[in-house]
Amino acid sequence: MTTRYAPPSMYRSREGVGVWEHRGKVAAVGVGHSPTERRWDERPETSVGAWSIMALRNAIADAGITPDQVDGLVIVPETTTGAFWPEDKALPQDVIEAFVQTNDPLDGIAKLSVDWLLKNMPELTNINYSLYAPVCMSNALNVAAQVVGDGLAHTVLVLKAWHNLQGRYYQGGQNAQDAIGGTSAMRSLWGAPACYGTALQFAEYCHKYNKNHDMMTPFIINSRRNGLMFPEGYWAQHRPEELTDEDYQLARWIAKPANLFDNDIPIMCAASYLFTTAERAKDMKQKPVYILNHADSDAVPRGLTPTLDEVEAECALTGRKIYEGAGITAADLSFENMYDGFTQFHQFHIEGLGYRGIGFGDALDFYQTDISIEGSNPVSPSGGNIGSGRSRFWMHTDSIQQLQGRAGGRQITGVDAEIGVSGGPMPLGGNYTVWSATPD
Amino acid sequence: MSILISFDIDGTLEIGDPPGAVTLEMVKTARAKGILTGSCSDRPMSAQRAIWKKYGIEYDFVCYKHLLPDLKKQFDAESYYHVGDRDDLDRKYAMRAGFGFFWPDEAAKNPLLL
Repeated sequence: MTTRYAPPSMYRSREGVGVWEHRGKVAAVGVGHSPTERRWDERPETSVGAWSIMALRNAIADAGITPDQVDGLVIVPETTTGAFWPEDKALPQDVIEAFVQTNDPLDGIAKLSVDWLLKNMPELTNINYSLYAPVCMSNALNVAAQVVGDGLAHTVLVLKAWHNLQGRYYQGGQNAQDAIGGTSAMRSLWGAPACYGTALQFAEYCHKYNKNHDMMTPFIINSRRNGLMFPEGYWAQHRPEELTDEDYQLARWIAKPANLFDNDIPIMCAASYLFTTAERAKDMKQKPVYILNHADSDAVPRGLTPTLDEVEAECALTGRKIYEGAGITAADLSFENMYDGFTQFHQFHIEGLGYRGIGFGDALDFYQTDISIEGSNPVSPSGGNIGSGRSRFWMHTDSIQQLQGRAGGRQITGVDAEIGVSGGPMPLGGNYTVWSATPD
Repeated sequence: MSILISFDIDGTLEIGDPPGAVTLEMVKTARAKGILTGSCSDRPMSAQRAIWKKYGIEYDFVCYKHLLPDLKKQFDAESYYHVGDRDDLDRKYAMRAGFGFFWPDEAAKNPLLL
């Protein structure tokens, strides 16, 4: 079986295309996670491949079905954005030999293919459709929803996994060279850190709306608090440390005005969800969470770094696409789980949504109000990447669990969990899913 | 002669992630010699305090690495040292602040901690 990347036609990228044709007919049922770790200890059983298998099996078990009932796979083959296998580092032969191999020795170690998974999960006997989605779980969810809706497969496992080697990102590759060649030189001027572009946008935001970095503090503290109630997450598992005003406000700048705690911590982890038709979901173990819409942002900035104007225009457009396809308005949202890794994405996303009636320039004032899970205006109940480490999928797990009523300590209590939205990562370039406790 | 030693945590102390060469016994030994000790790490300052409390070790300060110059102003010592495992953070900030600097394995062999 040849697996290709999902074609552009599977994404809902345009405004004005109406309500999603499969609204309420696709459901998420099972959730499966691996443990988390800061870095890989180079044992086979903790490799990104092993943890992917674990997450997939957990999702199947959580849905209460047998592996032979699964007929589709949608996975993200990239397992990092910044921790690449060093060219001068010997391949871990013992790890490679612990699994059934493909022709790529780093498969299951620093990347992932459908071929590798099927070779190492013999119980998946009926997979007859598979697709790759680039980079993020958010993207894979859009693809999987469309696959099930279009009838290309009826029971689909969606997977995103992350490896981390030394625990540090962006230290190798071009960043380790004395010079950068080709067009990358245009994008990597001054060797700026990854959060530099977002920090620039946030600086422009603060100037435009007369806000300041300290106003992010309640959001940071709330996110870490929620993350510490996420047993699948890194901070809850390894370092249950709350953050204080002092912790955040005195931290060193990475790219001013973005500091250390505005950046997420790179970790190893894997997560999988089981998607199926609304009809089949009724007979599975967990309460179905229905998908009302998926939306895509494919905007291209005019320059090297998007301006604040471009960010705000695209987030507003994304909000309109999300609502239009779902057939809802902002007033229908029980909660939001928009992306936060960097933290300074979050205010752009929720302002674009008009969450709880806020407009551009309002989010930091909104953060000064009750944004806890106990209040009627919960912000990022998952805690996101800030609350649980760099995965870009906590927001989706939480959305499903909130609507299933099994978010544990994070369960929102100030408002009934009926409809939620999650997605990201970038204001220009992201994928979003609208989830509902009911199909209509 | 008064001495101040600041310890990074991750990659430096045995309880760090990853563990480093400096044991908590060494920190206690330094304190027994009258040396001012504490931590300068990227870990939240509240978490640094919690670590010292958890292991029952008194401390004179916690701070962030980039605040070493402020730390120097707070304590009147004749010698200031920082122990850390990162050239781009620990060593750089220590040098800028006028601290002496030890790598963890160097510190673990230094008479100040033995």
